[in-house]
Amino acid sequence: MGTAGVIFDGLLALALVWLAWQATRAADLFHAVVSFIVFGLLMALAWVRLEAPDIALAEAAIGAGATGALLLSALDRLVTREGRRTVLYEPGAAWGFWIPAGAALLGALTLAAWKLPAPGLGDEVLASLGASGVDHPVTAVLLNFRALDTLLEIGVLLLAAVTIWSLGRAPSPLVPVMPSPALPALGRLLFPVFVLVAAYLLWRGSHAPGGAFPAGAVLGAGAILMLLAGARPWIRSSEHGPWRWILSLGLAMLLAAGIAGTVMGQAFFQYPPGTAGPLILLLEVAAGLSIALLLFALYLRGEPCEHGYRGSGP
Amino acid sequence: MIPGTAGPVVLFSLPLAAAIVVFIRPRWSVPVTLGTGAVLLAVALWLVGVVLQQGGWRQDIGGWTAPLGIGWNVDGLSATMLLLNAAVGLAGAAFHAARPAPPATARDPRFFWPLWLFLWGGLNALFLAADLFNVYVALEFVSIASVGLIGLVGGSAQAAAWRYLLATLLGSTIYLLGVALLYGRYAALDLALLAEGVEPDLVTAVAAALMTLGLLLKAAIFPLHFWLPAAHGRAPPAVSAVLSAVVIAAGYYLLVRLWFGPFAPLLGTGVATLLGLLGAAAVLWGGLLALMQRHLKMLIAYSTVSQFGYGLLVFPLVAAGAAHPAWAGAVMLVLAHGLAKAALFLAAGAIILRHGIGRLEALGGDQRGAVVAWVAFAVASASLVGLPPTGGFVGKWWLAQAALASGGYFWLAVLMLGTAFTAAYLWRALQAAVEPGWESGGEPPTLSPALGLGALLLALSAAALGLAAPLIARLLDAGPGVSG
Amino acid sequence: MTVYLSLAGVLFLIGLHGFFTARNLLRRLLALNVLTTAVFLLFVVMARLAEPLDAVPHAIVLTGIVVTVSTTAVALALLVRIAGRMRDEDTDPAAGPRGGAG
Repeated sequence: MGTAGVIFDGLLALALVWLAWQATRAADLFHAVVSFIVFGLLMALAWVRLEAPDIALAEAAIGAGATGALLLSALDRLVTREGRRTVLYEPGAAWGFWIPAGAALLGALTLAAWKLPAPGLGDEVLASLGASGVDHPVTAVLLNFRALDTLLEIGVLLLAAVTIWSLGRAPSPLVPVMPSPALPALGRLLFPVFVLVAAYLLWRGSHAPGGAFPAGAVLGAGAILMLLAGARPWIRSSEHGPWRWILSLGLAMLLAAGIAGTVMGQAFFQYPPGTAGPLILLLEVAAGLSIALLLFALYLRGEPCEHGYRGSGP
Repeated sequence: MIPGTAGPVVLFSLPLAAAIVVFIRPRWSVPVTLGTGAVLLAVALWLVGVVLQQGGWRQDIGGWTAPLGIGWNVDGLSATMLLLNAAVGLAGAAFHAARPAPPATARDPRFFWPLWLFLWGGLNALFLAADLFNVYVALEFVSIASVGLIGLVGGSAQAAAWRYLLATLLGSTIYLLGVALLYGRYAALDLALLAEGVEPDLVTAVAAALMTLGLLLKAAIFPLHFWLPAAHGRAPPAVSAVLSAVVIAAGYYLLVRLWFGPFAPLLGTGVATLLGLLGAAAVLWGGLLALMQRHLKMLIAYSTVSQFGYGLLVFPLVAAGAAHPAWAGAVMLVLAHGLAKAALFLAAGAIILRHGIGRLEALGGDQRGAVVAWVAFAVASASLVGLPPTGGFVGKWWLAQAALASGGYFWLAVLMLGTAFTAAYLWRALQAAVEPGWESGGEPPTLSPALGLGALLLALSAAALGLAAPLIARLLDAGPGVSG
Repeated sequence: MTVYLSLAGVLFLIGLHGFFTARNLLRRLLALNVLTTAVFLLFVVMARLAEPLDAVPHAIVLTGIVVTVSTTAVALALLVRIAGRMRDEDTDPAAGPRGGAG
């Protein structure tokens, strides 16, 4: 890369450091949260520079988008009306003795990281790519070579949603006071775009950067935006409705795919020969949908109403 | 295909599938959970039998071998932990099912059952995992499920859950940093593959230090135990039982896996002594604090801090050359502690339900309805202290033998002193039963006899472990400690 | 790549420092997220250094991002409940009704 690239990287790194510092040190909590969201967006650029477009997509949608929405709406609950004085404090002095330890650790770490040979598994991935059923290496790793990680990860999402439900009911009204009157119209306008982008990413995933994770993340972020724009949350926690089924679908299908291998006399998660491609596509659709819906469920911050929201206004 | 490979598939998938079922159909919760538990216990027992017969094995997931694919590791150590998890999980579920309905004013823990099954599945995934990143995902899985279960009762338990969550997330992040360094150095995440290729250089040492630090935080080893007592003391009884008996043991399990696997070349006398000293400090400090507690569950929670200190004594003893008895002794202690500690928490739960309060001085007087629970408490105490012929006794005996054989008299003294502390604080708890207590005046609440029964069964199995000592020794022969 | 390797180191230090010195609980959570990002960055830098480009760390980081958003969401939900409870306890009824936030 040329000098321009080096300068760009340097500026990007400086900006990221400044934003991270702001996120952890800024006096104003709102300022800190916004810094963190911008930090996520710039990280997406860094991922692009590091030739990781899949991560860039996921970071923009999840790291900045979904996490940002979560943080902002939590902030609305954490700060009292009178200014942005926060209520939650814990003495920090007890942690003091940790800092020298951390600094020493970091010194050793940097020294160690500089000497990394980083052999990587690129050759192994390429050698097995033909047998994996997909053309895009990251998708092959996620849904074939290391499918067990993906299963547990979808499990973590579902588990997080159940945990949040277990803490109590979703607050009502859910949506904070509108920061901008333009948001509802914008949200309605953008949602179809989000759906299209998600579908495109999912379709592209088998041969190019994209796939279930970014697609699900984009769709989930779009749904959260709709919610911010004033839409009623449509997920219900009723035992009789379909939502519990739909939320569990991704984990259930991954489990079924895993067990199917064993039942057919092969290893856990071994796809029958020749079926890897279509099976992975099926699992990707289920995983992507699960990611989108579960991200949305995480945003609700509590168990949604069982049957429907009555008027939430005053 | 090796016979027995279906076992891990069931142990991994069944709890997760049951969690989904219970989430979708809450009214089936109790039968589904108890049925799942019975199957899991049977499969874990069967797996132990298979390992006894043919030794351990590794099975690949998806037909991909390491370094590309990930695998499951089945050997004496993991089979033991899977069995512990199944026993405690089933007893805890039975306790929770048999507890009287909470008063109308209290929050109804609606999502206990799916969280319980998720925790169970996450722990099984962790004990099976042979891949460092898979371990990370499983660790986070277990953390979230534990946080959900601790926070279920609301109130101050949620603050305890928050502290636990932050400590455990920091622990996993530091652990993951170590994994990243190892990957950059060796391009491998598989435990066995790393064990073959590891060289004692700087990168590996830093990675080992980071991963150990992260796991010490998760296992609440002194001085990183600060989050444990509140979290374990405030959770519902069944949750305290599984957290103290199995979740903490999971952190310790990984430490043992790493130091007797990939990091074995780094385990010099210095490192081993440092870990041993941490363990010694934990034994004494935890014991002292347990002695000073006034609440029954807090006493048991501090006892967990103390008891896992013994586990760390394995490092200096193995480094000093007494590999076999030290190794078997430490694992035996963790197993016996798990069963006994779960029994203590469940018994304490039943006793506190009977008296309506957990202060030690209030627990005396009329014991109708809590007799079985007190008997379970006494039997579990006997094992925790290490009276022969309990599992606790055998574990300590093996550790003492290792200390004598390698001339580690300091570690022997720690063992003795820790035992004295354990006896003292458990005696204090048992003494509370026969003192006058606070009479509430009213008729005691009617409790299901099943409440104390699960605790009694766990306590009896902790005691009976001593009789199965030769079998356990043979099971652990297949473990990593002997080859290392 | 040196730039990004240093960036990972500095971010790690900032995250660690923030985690241990911040008194506000939300800030501590932000610091933890910065810390995690630093670890992810190390993974991806290694993938970039490898020859040919290594897809495994990319998959690992994708998984890690989803896991992190889950833990962050649980932490935030917990934080909101704790804050709500603390506010209920702190607010003196005589001091007048609370704002509409609760």
